[in-house]
Amino acid sequence: MPPILIIDGHLDMAFNALFYRRDLTRPVMELRNREDSVRGGISSHPDSLERRKGPQTKHFTPTVALPDMRKGRVGMMLSTIMVRVQDPHDNTHNAVRTQAIAYARGQSHLAYYKALEHKGEITFIKSITQLDACVRSWESPTDTTPIGLILSMESADPILGPDQVGEWHGAGLRSVSLTHFGANTYGHGTGTVGGLYPPAYALMDALAETDIAIDLSHASDLSFWQIMNYWKGPVHASHCTCRALVPGQRHLTDDMIKAITDRGGVIGMVFAEQMLSPAWNWDDPRTHYTTATRPMKAVLEHMDHICNLTGNTDHVAFGTDLDGGFGLELSPTDYNTIDDLQCFLDIMRAHGYNENDVAKFAHGNLIRFFKSNWS
Amino acid sequence: MSDHPYLIIDSHLDLGFCAIQINRDITQPAATVRVHDAESTMRGFGSCTTTFHELHKGHVGIVFGTVMSRIDPNDEWTRTGMWDQTQCHGIGMGHYAVYKAMERIGVVRQIHTSKDLDDMVTAWQNPKADTPIGLVLAMESADPSLDPEQVPYWYDLGLRLVSISHYGVSSYCHGTGTEGGLLDRGRPLLDALKEAGIIVDLTHTTDQAFWEILDYYDGPVAASHHNCRALVPGQRQLTDDMIKAIVERGGVFGTALDAWMLDPDWQREKPAWAQTTKATLESVADQIDHIAQLVGNANHSGIGSDLDGGFGQEQSPRDLNTIADLQQLPEIFKRRGYSETDIQNITSGNWVRLLKTVWGKI
Repeated sequence: MPPILIIDGHLDMAFNALFYRRDLTRPVMELRNREDSVRGGISSHPDSLERRKGPQTKHFTPTVALPDMRKGRVGMMLSTIMVRVQDPHDNTHNAVRTQAIAYARGQSHLAYYKALEHKGEITFIKSITQLDACVRSWESPTDTTPIGLILSMESADPILGPDQVGEWHGAGLRSVSLTHFGANTYGHGTGTVGGLYPPAYALMDALAETDIAIDLSHASDLSFWQIMNYWKGPVHASHCTCRALVPGQRHLTDDMIKAITDRGGVIGMVFAEQMLSPAWNWDDPRTHYTTATRPMKAVLEHMDHICNLTGNTDHVAFGTDLDGGFGLELSPTDYNTIDDLQCFLDIMRAHGYNENDVAKFAHGNLIRFFKSNWS
Repeated sequence: MSDHPYLIIDSHLDLGFCAIQINRDITQPAATVRVHDAESTMRGFGSCTTTFHELHKGHVGIVFGTVMSRIDPNDEWTRTGMWDQTQCHGIGMGHYAVYKAMERIGVVRQIHTSKDLDDMVTAWQNPKADTPIGLVLAMESADPSLDPEQVPYWYDLGLRLVSISHYGVSSYCHGTGTEGGLLDRGRPLLDALKEAGIIVDLTHTTDQAFWEILDYYDGPVAASHHNCRALVPGQRQLTDDMIKAIVERGGVFGTALDAWMLDPDWQREKPAWAQTTKATLESVADQIDHIAQLVGNANHSGIGSDLDGGFGQEQSPRDLNTIADLQQLPEIFKRRGYSETDIQNITSGNWVRLLKTVWGKI
């Protein structure tokens, strides 16, 4: 089948550009070569001699860059501002010590997207008009068609207070996850057992004044239900899989899936070993490992499960999280670069999904979700 | 320490970098940050000396805070060196956002105009516990400015001083450690800086670029963190001719406190933890004294410490524990026979004069 428009509902592009220092305007294969050459390369800063180097960070092989997205017609994305307040001991360095630092890192991510827009590489999508225009531009794309960006935020720590919500909305923010890993400013996220902190309610009140959706992907179980009880606005899970199939609090229970989809929410399918393998338990680090075992087809198990629960194909989408703190090593075994997402659509077809279902999964459901929330 | 503290202006601090790359809570005492750093994943930037708490303690009431990111593909160390200017712009805006976040909690007040500057100078005559630190936005390597057309945008954010290169080769000019001059895009950038009224910082230019910029650019110049080649050899320092050329243009120097720029015996190829510098705060005074003797007055020197700019206490004058110890400098100048006026000019007056000359009355 010819390629169709894909919207990826969860990518961490700015984090990759500013922490892993990837120039995402270059193809993935070039990024891989560059990263091989950098290891052992000498910075022009003379203090960066070996004695000065911090501990080596783990290296993950990149799979996502803008030219490869164009090649695979991944013409639109939700991409994050990603930084959280948490004891900074983790190896991906997106946990910071204070909310002021989180705000500044978040602003650096926003500024990177703006610089990409300045260069014509991407275009911000803030309205239905812009969304429709972007969809149209991808009906007959060229090598330079800008990729549409709906700005999202993974952990709300960069929002310094309810009074700042308007500023972030003006900048393009349309989806916020209140928490991420650990206990953050607004509440408990993945891997913890607490709920929301009091500032979360004032923040939600301010968010309710806008058309920003709440992303439940990284809520702890208690936070999840506290949000669902208090928040009347749009909800979705940008990148989640099913706890009925894989163990750990990171995944959605059937009740959670029903609660989200009953309110019109869409659930993004993650293309990562740690989300697809029953052998990997999020709540038990002893089960974590470094090489993928599962192919893209494993994503179908989760998609089927959600579609069976809801009785339709209206609530599933891509939310791959590719390169989101991992790389090729933990991506599906038959996946190499992001243009391979088109192959996944063929896997869906072979599995019996009709063309209408495929189109809904590839882009239709996310378009409907955002258009129904935006005025 | 003197019986009354002097207002000190520090013309070069990478505080934004300390916050978002090193992940330091720069509102805390240095001693607290040192404890934090020991358990941090981002080691390797030295022992903390500089936070807003320490600046306040040392009456360092006005600082130039940088936006710092450059083209430098191999910089796995600070992670401010990048492959492409889009990334530099992101990092640079992150550093700016640190200062805005500090302003929001009342720790900083950004200085845009002569009036803002006067207000901060006045506030620091009788500072209170909550008197904010005045901050002038500076840029080290112009790469975060995506093109010359973006200069007015940065000016509106408060940018008032720019060095167009840093280490390596920026998008606009050859910098420290390289050989070469201005690049094609350098001159349009200088035009835009002139048009905006932004001071060109000659620190981190190559020798060739230094003279090319002075030939081409007739706006205000300075050297924000720069010592004397007559005392410490190497391209990173200014020759006497360069010093005279900057003085002729009314420029001001900030004396840097990085041990290798103060101590000719410092061995850069050796780890900082494997050597002890003989540099002290007296060595800082020696640098300032050299310029004063060369030009016949003390109207052009200041302090541009660069403390915590990728190094820490271990690579600073050995009698300096935190940046608050800059307050020992006035006593040293007194002992050396400098007048009260000279001391005030060195600690703050020369920078205030330059900024007000450039900015006018507004």
